[in-house]
Amino acid sequence: MSNSLLIDRLSAELPPVRRRNPARELAVVASLGALELALVLGVGLMRPDMASMIGSPYMIWKLGSLAILALLGCTLAVRSFVPTASSRKGVTMLMVLAVAVTVFGLIAVPHPSEAASLAERLAPAQGLLCAASIVVLSMPVMAALGWLMRRGAPGNPRKSAFACGLAAGTLGALIFAVCCRFNDPLYIVVWYSIGVATVCTAARALLPRRFRL
Amino acid sequence: MIAAQDGHGGAYRRLLGEVSDWLERYFRRRLPADFVDDAVQETLLAVHRRRHTYDPAQPFGPWLAGIARRKWIDALRTMGRQQAEPLPEHLPVEDHRRTVVSATVLSGLLEQLRPAQAKAIALVRLQGYTFEEASRETGLSLSAVKMNVHRGLAKLTTFIERTDDVE
Repeated sequence: MSNSLLIDRLSAELPPVRRRNPARELAVVASLGALELALVLGVGLMRPDMASMIGSPYMIWKLGSLAILALLGCTLAVRSFVPTASSRKGVTMLMVLAVAVTVFGLIAVPHPSEAASLAERLAPAQGLLCAASIVVLSMPVMAALGWLMRRGAPGNPRKSAFACGLAAGTLGALIFAVCCRFNDPLYIVVWYSIGVATVCTAARALLPRRFRL
Repeated sequence: MIAAQDGHGGAYRRLLGEVSDWLERYFRRRLPADFVDDAVQETLLAVHRRRHTYDPAQPFGPWLAGIARRKWIDALRTMGRQQAEPLPEHLPVEDHRRTVVSATVLSGLLEQLRPAQAKAIALVRLQGYTFEEASRETGLSLSAVKMNVHRGLAKLTTFIERTDDVE
């Protein structure tokens, strides 16, 4: 088919399109996260001592850093869905920020059991459950971001997919953080990182598949 | 494009006509001649499918260039997967000049690769050698030439993806 024939076909009976609105997309993702949080709280999964713990340095660090990472991750993912955006610098900066808050948590936030062994502090059986819960909780947001990515035109689908994974993983971790009963920063750093990294890897592998502009 | 988003077919036809000319120049500098028409049409289809993602507050050029760049990377990947077909003995050549100046950007990018990979791609993809001829020319085995072309093109696509502006 010649170019002119293709152009004739494309321009014949051209329906108006609804322009993409990044703010609306961000609102959709935020609403989904809020709905998930409401469901988790609604079924009574919030840790029982939340009222007394909410002002502690540990909880401020945990919820604060996850909220910041989730907000920046979602913004970065939605911004990357246009061909003019490069998510490379954003992803790098977000990773640096994640490492910074992690190191800060390990150094500055006191943990309750100074005498406990490493195995006791890490509690692998519960830790794996925590990581799996983060993966499950991140699924709805990852599905929504994947759908938005497919509707968009990312310049680098692999980087966009990774940003989607980072956003969904940190949002899933934030929702899970209100249920998690462990108060040790080391436990949070290890198992939450494994949960978020699993989501990022899955997003990076799955979302760009069969994606074509 | 703003008019096209609102359903104005005439404006869209004029726009795609201009875009098509620009894309032909863009891809002729970046791809072997055999791949140019497909790349232009693939990009026109992508512009059509993704026209809702254009933000009227932003300039149109970078948006189009972003889509064209993505399609360039896709075309390089396709080149890496395809086998070279032997050319017939008597092939009419219409325009020597266009063939000579084509894919100048791609030729320049070959400097990013190992010499063996660059030579294999230049012979097979830019100068139209078959893999067997390239194997005789370079003194490498047939599988080594194929591997050099495949890995070289994969490395090039990664380089282009990591570089914001390739000229």
